[in-house]
Amino acid sequence: MPESIEKKGIVRHVAEIIIGELKLEDVIPDTFDPDMDLVDELGIDSMDLATIALVLQDEYKIIIDEDDYPRLKTVRLISAYIEEKLAAKH
Amino acid sequence: MKTVSSLLDPVWYERYKRISNLNIRSSIYDVTNRCNLRCKGCFFFSSGEHHVQEETDLKKWEAFIDREKARGVNLAILIGGEPTLCMDRVEAFYKRVPSYCATNGLIKVPRERFPDMMVGISLWGDSEDEKILRGKDTFAVSSKNYEGDSYTYYLYTITPKQVGKIEPVIKRIVDIGLKVHLQLLSNDEGVDGFHWREGELRDLRAEMDEMLERYPHTVISSKYYHEVITTGMMLGRRFGWRECPSVTESLDNRQPPVRRLIHFCRWAADLKTVHRCCTSATRDCATCKDGAAHMSWIMVNKRDHIVSTRDLQNWIEVYEMFAKLYRLIPW
Repeated sequence: MPESIEKKGIVRHVAEIIIGELKLEDVIPDTFDPDMDLVDELGIDSMDLATIALVLQDEYKIIIDEDDYPRLKTVRLISAYIEEKLAAKH
Repeated sequence: MKTVSSLLDPVWYERYKRISNLNIRSSIYDVTNRCNLRCKGCFFFSSGEHHVQEETDLKKWEAFIDREKARGVNLAILIGGEPTLCMDRVEAFYKRVPSYCATNGLIKVPRERFPDMMVGISLWGDSEDEKILRGKDTFAVSSKNYEGDSYTYYLYTITPKQVGKIEPVIKRIVDIGLKVHLQLLSNDEGVDGFHWREGELRDLRAEMDEMLERYPHTVISSKYYHEVITTGMMLGRRFGWRECPSVTESLDNRQPPVRRLIHFCRWAADLKTVHRCCTSATRDCATCKDGAAHMSWIMVNKRDHIVSTRDLQNWIEVYEMFAKLYRLIPW
């Protein structure tokens, strides 16, 4: 699979997980702005992030360190973080 | 999907951003089992939580605090007993982590050792109530110790007998140049005449609102906090065990998980025992009126307030109140 499509897949999947876990209404993965600041705009706090991180860890078989939470500010940044973790595994 | 910026004008949005990234991790520490007062209604002594072997080795306290810091704690709330009876332990905290000291104010925290440590002085009403509940008018002493201190405020626990009479207490605090935060007595020891009766809390809420309007530079509070603490209700939910966010993490087995303070613990003075919550395990959560627990309850439920402009503004005002109490933002 071309890398860009794979990246797009992660972005979409992360958006899907966030929408599902936070029970967000009136938005679907394709319309979710991947650059929207999740704290400033959606009001996500560390407990939300911990919940999302648990799902992402299961889905991608990675470990998300709590110290890294401040980096996970947007769907795109979370996706890049996941890619980084996956690359480190190989 | 509601977003923060869609609900707030630019001024409120800036206020939101100022507090949304504070990321506070607080825990509570019983610095000592001893106190220089024995107040009727003090949960610490009425619950028996002081029956642990107090750690006296300062090195062990220092190592413990270092471990707490490594655990992510960035705000240490020091209670007791009376923490100022053990200044060396207080100093061990202060040197390592931002600290807040809750005291009855009878002993002055020396500012040459603790120049910017936040101090909260407990006050249980006017001098008459103080004498009944605490055996003496502590304000007479604490006001002399702390007059004009810019890192100190009074934590005024309002009793049922104070309804209709809180303004003179506030005025005394205005006169010595301090701030005040309001909370309610839970009457843990069932002292006669200090039970909340029907209608009193409604009247008190109106009075608290009035004090906030009349003394905005002295009273650190918010009307939404007044509503929640006097009704025990928030967004249609009732405060209680199923809602309280201030439960020690290692003892919190509630299912499904409750929105809570991340990594919160309340440690006993033996540095081994943890207590159930920020008050005591003997208190009935359904009638708990603890101000900090109610404040935290609002704060951890941020996204539930991203519903309407008014709801989100209410949440911001409560968070700002919390941040001011610890001088995380200016008064």
